[in-house]
Amino acid sequence: MDETVAEYIRRTVLKIPRDEIKMMLQKWDFLSEAQLQTVNFHQIKDNISQEVVQLCEENSADIKQAAVLDIIYNHIYQNKRMWSVYQMKKTGEELEYFDLTDFKKKFKRRLRSALKNVTITFREYEDNAIWIRVAWGTPYRQPNQYKPSYVVYHSQTPYVFISASVLKSNLPLLCQALIVASNYHEIREMELRSHSLNSLKDIVFKRYSQNFPTYCPKPLQGKTVEPESVDLRIIHENKSEKERIQRVNQEVFGNGPQPILQFAQYKLETMFKSSPEMDVLDKKEPFRCLVKFSSPHLLESLKSLAPAGMADAPLSPLLTCITQKARNYFRIREKKGLFPDSFVSP
Amino acid sequence: RFSRAALRDYARLLGAFIAAERQKGLAVEVGVELDIKVALSSLPELQGSEQDQPAVLVQLSSRSRASPKNSEDKILWSGCFCCVYGDDLSENMPEDFTCLPLFLANGAESYMSVVGNWFQKTFDCIFRRLAISPFSLTWMVAMWTGCKVDKATSAVELVFSVPRLPQPLDISYAIHPEDAKALWDTIQKTPGEITQEEVDVFMDCLYSHFHRHFKIHLSATKLVKVSTAIASAHCDGIVKMLHSQYLSGVLMLLTELAISQIQ
Repeated sequence: MDETVAEYIRRTVLKIPRDEIKMMLQKWDFLSEAQLQTVNFHQIKDNISQEVVQLCEENSADIKQAAVLDIIYNHIYQNKRMWSVYQMKKTGEELEYFDLTDFKKKFKRRLRSALKNVTITFREYEDNAIWIRVAWGTPYRQPNQYKPSYVVYHSQTPYVFISASVLKSNLPLLCQALIVASNYHEIREMELRSHSLNSLKDIVFKRYSQNFPTYCPKPLQGKTVEPESVDLRIIHENKSEKERIQRVNQEVFGNGPQPILQFAQYKLETMFKSSPEMDVLDKKEPFRCLVKFSSPHLLESLKSLAPAGMADAPLSPLLTCITQKARNYFRIREKKGLFPDSFVSP
Repeated sequence: RFSRAALRDYARLLGAFIAAERQKGLAVEVGVELDIKVALSSLPELQGSEQDQPAVLVQLSSRSRASPKNSEDKILWSGCFCCVYGDDLSENMPEDFTCLPLFLANGAESYMSVVGNWFQKTFDCIFRRLAISPFSLTWMVAMWTGCKVDKATSAVELVFSVPRLPQPLDISYAIHPEDAKALWDTIQKTPGEITQEEVDVFMDCLYSHFHRHFKIHLSATKLVKVSTAIASAHCDGIVKMLHSQYLSGVLMLLTELAISQIQ
């Protein structure tokens, strides 16, 4: 077995939390159950990985098999990566029958015709997701297995999720191979990025709960419950306002869990406006700003601002349109003409 | 009693203290065999007015035992006691009392804590992180935005934090430096002078521009960091000086803050 393959397998196993190593090796299905029985999975990871490499040596593992283990790891720990969304377009409306074998063949052929040294690995999952792993080399160097790109493609949709490796120069080639293989004509990057792959899917496949403006939910049990022995002299300040905020929030954000995004970025190129009594800046040029919101769960965070008294309800459409417009990067310019206070997002 | 004449002795004592702490296992750097050398020196260039006392520089440097004899020492950590335009404080001090209210530290926190311990044990002093309030941060951003810089390359950035939500939120609000300065210039009435009212108007303008777009009241959130081409400051007392021309001004501001926290 090639020593670079051995080292790669060793390092991949080391990444896996100790309690999960056996499960992942079983999923990998490269080592037999009998071989796995010989490994002591309770020792330190360094030793576990050494033993695994030994067994792989017995089975003469090559890079192709090692790459599969890497896909398995990254499929389970997909949220460690940052994913970008791409949309593909066809000119015709024909619903073509998707042939997986044909897709793989065309994809490999397109990539290999441009770059001799690439490692390409496919793995299909139950939810119709095709995972592709590509390790990139150059005409003179073997592929760098430690910086691969990952692509997730649901063949029934025009969307592709790419976790770009650091080597961004390979992105155009990757995109080209995708459209050639899937019989589309063009591909564009959407302004939508997140660590949560499932949330990105929820957003573009419209799997999140839609807003129901006419839906009037009954107050949930246990929520803002007035205890029996309440002192009637104590009234909740702004009770009706609080209720209005809750209602508006629900209309705008919907009832269900929000997709998980980590940030939203706005490039503002609008005019600065102040109240007339302030004798300040009145330029004819835009007041250029870059605003970035970050949170472990951005949409939940934004949703809680109005109830916390930090924002008006409804929140600005610039924020509430994120899910519906399927983007979290925006460029906002002033809308000319009748409504100077509204904004255009190209 | 601190005496400038004894700087060499202090360096020796501090060095011994650090060596002892490392023996005790309060390791400052794991692994590599290091000899830590301590140097204390006076920095007369670093002061504001005549009343200010010259700064005192503390440097910890190392030479790995493995490297050749005449190789350069590597500076591990630097600290500097200083006072820049701290007239308010020095006026009320007895003659031979050394008063350097501002301490700047650069390097690993572990070294800071060892050095700080020794100074606190040996002299009558206390080290405390300089907490910079949102109020002070707004003064800093207003002041620094107005400074003339040849080529404004960095944005004027304000970072707000909203920690007490179910999911914490951070907001970075960065303004093109020319546009921020243009705004400030229309607000500031007298060059060289800044009033509280002007700072308030500046902040209100920024808040209302933000509110117009996002409907969020930034004034209800916590301002934790400001950053300009001159310098950046974080509420935890972490400051970056980015423009040598304005160094003295920044240090003066920090000295004032340090003094106000003593009183």
